[in-house]
Amino acid sequence: MKPYRTAWLLSMLLCAAPAFAADSDRWDIPVAVKKLDNGLTVVVSEDRSSPVIGVSVVYGIGMRLEPRNRTGFAHLFEHLMFEGSENAPEGVFDRVITGGGGRNNGSTRPDFTNYIEIAPSSAIEPILWLEADRMTMLDFNPATLKNQQDVVKEEIRVNVQNQPYGGFMWLDVGFNAFEKWENNHDGYGSFEDLESATLDDVKAFHRDYYGPNNAVLGLAGDITPEQGFALAEKYFGEITARPVPEGPDFSEGLNTKEKRIQQPDKLAQVPAIAMSWKMPDRGSRDQPAMSVLGALLANGDASRLYQGLVKGRELALNVDSLYGLTSEWEYNGPTLFTVFALYKPTTDADAVVAAVDEEVAKIVAEGVDNATLARIKTQLLADWYNGMESFVSRADNLAKLQLLWGDANVANEIPGWIDAVSSQDVQRAASTYLTAANRTVIDRVPEAMLAARDAAPPAND
Amino acid sequence: MKTSMKLLALALCTTLSGALSAAPAALPKDLPPYGEDKPLPVAQIGKKTLPNGLEVWVVPRDGMPRVDYVLAVRNAGFAADAADAPGFASLFAGLLAEGTAQRDSRAIAETAQSFGGSVGASASNDGVMVYADALTSHAAPMLELLAEIVRTPTFPENEVRLAQANALQALKAAEAQPSFKATRALLAATYGDHPYARVQQTEASIAGVTPAALREAHALRFHPDRALLVVTGRVAPTEAFRLAEAAFGDWKALGAEAPDTPAAPRSVTPSRVLIQRDGSVQSTLRIGRPAIPATDPDYVPAILAGTVLGGGFSSRVNQNLREDKGYTYGASAGFAPSRVGGRVQAGADVRNEVTGASLKEFFAEFERLADEPVPEQELLDTKRYVAGGYLISNQLQGAVAATLASNWLVGLPSDFLASYVPRIREVEAAQVQAIARRYFDPEQQSIVVVGDGPAIAEQLEPYGEFKAVE
Repeated sequence: MKPYRTAWLLSMLLCAAPAFAADSDRWDIPVAVKKLDNGLTVVVSEDRSSPVIGVSVVYGIGMRLEPRNRTGFAHLFEHLMFEGSENAPEGVFDRVITGGGGRNNGSTRPDFTNYIEIAPSSAIEPILWLEADRMTMLDFNPATLKNQQDVVKEEIRVNVQNQPYGGFMWLDVGFNAFEKWENNHDGYGSFEDLESATLDDVKAFHRDYYGPNNAVLGLAGDITPEQGFALAEKYFGEITARPVPEGPDFSEGLNTKEKRIQQPDKLAQVPAIAMSWKMPDRGSRDQPAMSVLGALLANGDASRLYQGLVKGRELALNVDSLYGLTSEWEYNGPTLFTVFALYKPTTDADAVVAAVDEEVAKIVAEGVDNATLARIKTQLLADWYNGMESFVSRADNLAKLQLLWGDANVANEIPGWIDAVSSQDVQRAASTYLTAANRTVIDRVPEAMLAARDAAPPAND
Repeated sequence: MKTSMKLLALALCTTLSGALSAAPAALPKDLPPYGEDKPLPVAQIGKKTLPNGLEVWVVPRDGMPRVDYVLAVRNAGFAADAADAPGFASLFAGLLAEGTAQRDSRAIAETAQSFGGSVGASASNDGVMVYADALTSHAAPMLELLAEIVRTPTFPENEVRLAQANALQALKAAEAQPSFKATRALLAATYGDHPYARVQQTEASIAGVTPAALREAHALRFHPDRALLVVTGRVAPTEAFRLAEAAFGDWKALGAEAPDTPAAPRSVTPSRVLIQRDGSVQSTLRIGRPAIPATDPDYVPAILAGTVLGGGFSSRVNQNLREDKGYTYGASAGFAPSRVGGRVQAGADVRNEVTGASLKEFFAEFERLADEPVPEQELLDTKRYVAGGYLISNQLQGAVAATLASNWLVGLPSDFLASYVPRIREVEAAQVQAIARRYFDPEQQSIVVVGDGPAIAEQLEPYGEFKAVE
């Protein structure tokens, strides 16, 4: 096939180099780390290319450790962190940050909750004051609790209930794939649980999980490490460490029996499928191999599944992949590699699964050729750098790596780990993790289409 | 969980965002003040026009090991589509990278991947933008690949057929999204017969696409003298100009020029549309009217007024509808400018019971902006917010390239990027009020609601007679 050849030659050139990237493609991200006496870890990455600073405060608490009868609490609590303290009443937080030219956000994931800001560096001191203030105390009051219960319910309506597919590719797959409650409950929460949350719950959660010793502060951009450490000491140094309750053991092995689920969808017009496999543990030698395997299968238009399912067999409209709610490097417990596709009404879930199986089987049998392996690694290197470009992403990524791996310098090691992945590693990852037994499949079908299928079963049924 | 609304706002925010409504909370006494502002960095843009008319702008940077390219072509977007072929330009743009004289679709994708980047194109009202990026060591071959896609797309039969089949399914999927239907109805209410109303595909327009029509469109629309190449990243201007000359120096137009877009309406008779969505648990509200092109003298004060009213998390409508009332996960409002006209759009997805109450709050905020001068502190905070947005987006080299190219497409000069923050700082409260009177008069707004009619009809009654659409 002629068009193949150009790419093959180019890739061979890449292979010939001792490292997988040219020297001009190297980017060592500055990382300086210091732990304050109260346990707050501070990570600083200096970059003077713009008078802007990215800030991230990441707490070691997420959906896995929320109270059993309070599904969705970690996320509800995230919202309450924006509702003010005794020192800084409701509205102050947003006003000071936006008035300083900045933007802010927060998000909740299984293993962490993060709070991020990006702003002109002239706003750094007020931002750190505000973050330290809400780490110290919140204004626990019934009005803001009620208001944010309503906002969270609207968020669930907009993202789940009123949305075709309802986020099943990142919500329902987890409800079904995992065994333990910590991993398989609805982190968005039931309305009943959300409404039952009390001010005492809020107070206890803040006391237990929002102390400095359970947090990492990340700073990236227009600041030196010395300045960053000094400002962290100035604003956070007085906050006392608080005991963090010991969490349960939420580890799980791989699944041993396939799960297949069909869900009706009353809003969707086109059927969709999500296939999820449990991932290797964080830090496992298979983790970089899974990263390469995931990219080989489903990262972009050159990927095997795009070429095999969207082009090739013409079964699917698109192919996307997800690593749980985070990335292939940002988890600390059971998580999933998920392939999501909208498929054509002229086919069915079995055909899509069979096509994915064929592509996986090819990798298990043959591994991956050098040219393709080199391309994938180049792409992953570029993706890794791209994810570090924005100062707020850099601050956040480094803070998360520090929290989850205990070492933000992992940021500069991951490119090398990817580079070291061999064809055999990819084969091993495919045969270990992408098995039918370890798989959970959800077939999400428009209600009308299901009704039509029931009314007129196919002739060969 | 999936990022709070705030990140969505961040994505929308280049020109929008806000400050607090009502009396702002007093600042804590211990809160340290902002430090001294540093000067706004101004992108040094190297410029050259090739003999064939292609403009080349280069913004060198020292950051990450990547080069970003954007090639923008004027009069190649939705406004150039025939009335019976809405959304043609998006299929056209999407198919550029699906086959060239030298490479098939798969080889293009694999080649881009081997450069550590990607290529692709998208259509807007006023043009098509073709994007590429690569690791620094692959900057030169990536620009060659970009040129190949721009100059020699072949629109292969099989790729066109597959793109059509997939576009039909994607259209079906989009029709299930309330926002998709709401946007279509609001654009129709805003622009009437003007091509800016027709950006979404229809089954018929998808079915009508042929390889011949795509090749004809390519000859008519892609002309070097109506194109701009922006290069940002780790590359010296002399080197970038040399690469551009090599890749595009002998590019020639293949056909006649497409005509310019006629002016868009500046006002219309407002309409009321209710699109029935059985069992919907929320009402998708959209409010809007025609407004101004990006080159209008009102545009800079309009950015500021739109930001106060509905740009970003701290804007008045979001603070009111989300933070104060808890009606919605997010509310926004602001201006969308194009080359020959623009529009106002406001909206939120709200639960059924508060559909009427939400419209009331939107219009109350529109009126307050017209009736009362924005308090000094709020105005100042909002100006700082806009300046911050400039700094934040300029930190990303791809964003700088895309902003320069999209400004150029709507007729704004290269120095608009650097000058709008100082010009925003000069805007006075009285100008914001004047903008509000001119463009946010509730009487002049069309209203589109996608939701469950029987559940919400009564609440809509005070807003006039809604035409029910299935």
